[in-house]
Amino acid sequence: MTGHAPKRWGAAHQSRRTVIPALLVFWLIIPLTPLLLWAGASRWSGTARLPQDLGFRGWQEALDTGMIAALARSGLLGVAVALIATPLGSMAGRALGWRLLHRPALPSVVLLAPVVLAPFAVAMGLDVVILRLGIPGEVAVVLVLSVFALPYTTFTMRATYLGLDPTLEEQARVLGASSRQARRCVTLPAATTGLVTATGLAFLVGWSDYAVTLLIGGGQIVTAPMLIGSSAAGSGNDALTSTLAISASLPPLAALAVFTYTASRRRTAAHS
Amino acid sequence: MTAALNLSSITHRHPGAEHPTLVDVDLEVQDGEMVAVLGPSGSGKTTLLRVAAGLEQPKSGDVLLDGISVLAVPPERRDLTVMFQKPHLFPHLSVLDNVAFADRLRGRSRSQSRAAAQRYLDLVHLGDFGGRRPRQLSGGQEQRVALARALAAGRRVMLLDEPFSALDTSLRTSMHQLLGEVRAALDPTIVIVTHDLDEAGLADRVAVLVEGRVEQCDSIETLYAAPKTLAVARLVGGFNELPGRVKSGAHHSSLGSFTLPSAVEVEGPAILLIRKERLGLTHVDAGPTAAGRVVQIRQSGPHQDVVVELDHPPTRPPLRVDVEARLGTSLRPGDRTGVVVTPSSVLWAVHDPGAHESCAAAEALVTPAVSDHATKNRAETRSAR
Repeated sequence: MTGHAPKRWGAAHQSRRTVIPALLVFWLIIPLTPLLLWAGASRWSGTARLPQDLGFRGWQEALDTGMIAALARSGLLGVAVALIATPLGSMAGRALGWRLLHRPALPSVVLLAPVVLAPFAVAMGLDVVILRLGIPGEVAVVLVLSVFALPYTTFTMRATYLGLDPTLEEQARVLGASSRQARRCVTLPAATTGLVTATGLAFLVGWSDYAVTLLIGGGQIVTAPMLIGSSAAGSGNDALTSTLAISASLPPLAALAVFTYTASRRRTAAHS
Repeated sequence: MTAALNLSSITHRHPGAEHPTLVDVDLEVQDGEMVAVLGPSGSGKTTLLRVAAGLEQPKSGDVLLDGISVLAVPPERRDLTVMFQKPHLFPHLSVLDNVAFADRLRGRSRSQSRAAAQRYLDLVHLGDFGGRRPRQLSGGQEQRVALARALAAGRRVMLLDEPFSALDTSLRTSMHQLLGEVRAALDPTIVIVTHDLDEAGLADRVAVLVEGRVEQCDSIETLYAAPKTLAVARLVGGFNELPGRVKSGAHHSSLGSFTLPSAVEVEGPAILLIRKERLGLTHVDAGPTAAGRVVQIRQSGPHQDVVVELDHPPTRPPLRVDVEARLGTSLRPGDRTGVVVTPSSVLWAVHDPGAHESCAAAEALVTPAVSDHATKNRAETRSAR
């Protein structure tokens, strides 16, 4: 009798391990399926279940509308935001995670404010300030998006530093490392996973932003989300919209896949 | 001879603390010597090590390495290293690269530093573990790697901050053995902070730190035989405390008069310290020093501690002593027994910090307290009075 219970538990555990990832993949694929179909269709009338004609019309039109340049601009925006928000978030996360501040509540609230408040309200408010200061649109967009990305990077790094013992740095110092070397050679490598996650989140804030780029950039900065937005709102060209949406989704998905693969390889190497 | 490490008149106070953590602490460590800093929790042991390492700045005093002040030198440029209570192996580096860390910082090539690190890993019997990650090691193995890394740093002085306290008894014993091997092979200068008397016994000298002050710095044998203060005696443990008075080289108390060794320099109110293993149990009719009734029998390692309440007149409070007996004593609580004191050469007396001249005579008649319960018993005695 007692021998059956572990077997049953093992079978249930095994099925959970299979079903849950399958559901997650399904969850991801469901919204992408119509997009994928549209991206490969030349003609798909509203009444048909599947495209009537296959082809790359959407891709051609996407290229003609400047998809490559828009993707590049989104990429640059993501990189710029990540370059600003990750180091700042790392420093803030270190201070919060290692309790280096006497009153951590106030900085936490200030950092969370851009996420808590409506993005449009924050963007509009900052737009007024930026216009008065005469900051160029591109720089302003990067700065404002960095403010939006900062809570993500900070709280990711805070969680990372909470899991790291501050004495690691002291240990490095008494072995001959300067304060900077201790941080560079010990703390940062030990916090790699958190740093990569924070960088990815900051990049995605820049890569996928629409509202701030539109409001602060004044329509002058054409990024991938701007193209998707204008196509979805005005053209009625579903093939083009779907192609643009897929093009904008693929780079982050590819990056996520590479990161997950690398992390799992590292874990496997560590356990072997 | 210039000391390898000299902590001179170190006073330290943590920010916001009411009392200083360290008060005027002096400690000299000679080249190749191992000194243990022994003290209860909160006595300032770790702070002392952190001050020496440059991780804390003292309020006053100086830290000298080979006679040169390093007070203004940052930790990384002081010629000493620290092994903390936790091994703090760097998780992103392999075991070999952890040990090679200091060499790499010094600019040696990867292959050179790894070759040197391998020698230290061999020394701690982990030669085959170089390719592993820290998370793949057991607690004892991690501490061995940490020891190898500290040795590989090649510093003038090694500071060990209770490095084996988190290990179980058998692992701790094996680490003590390893430390002995390392000392025999490399003759490093070591300061080890501990609250474990067995660990302190590995050192050449033991500095007893109580409430931020060094009360005594001597060999472990001297601490056991001749503690300088009551605080040291209580920290070492195993002493029976008998309040009384020293006059003309003899201690007088309700237990009788005992001639003290000439090294005892106390006069007036004093506490006679008798180690529990220096007391013996005998038949009541065999003419013992005192007789009484067994009130408790406690297991204490490979021995038993028999607590005897000595006979006393009804007008006086009870007197209790701890006597160490072999395992399997036939005595039971309630039995009557005699207690004998071995000759005076093994007795010791210290100044009674709680006594005043005016009540010295009364103190001579009060309860002897067993060291492990000394404070409690003294309080009870006073309330009984």
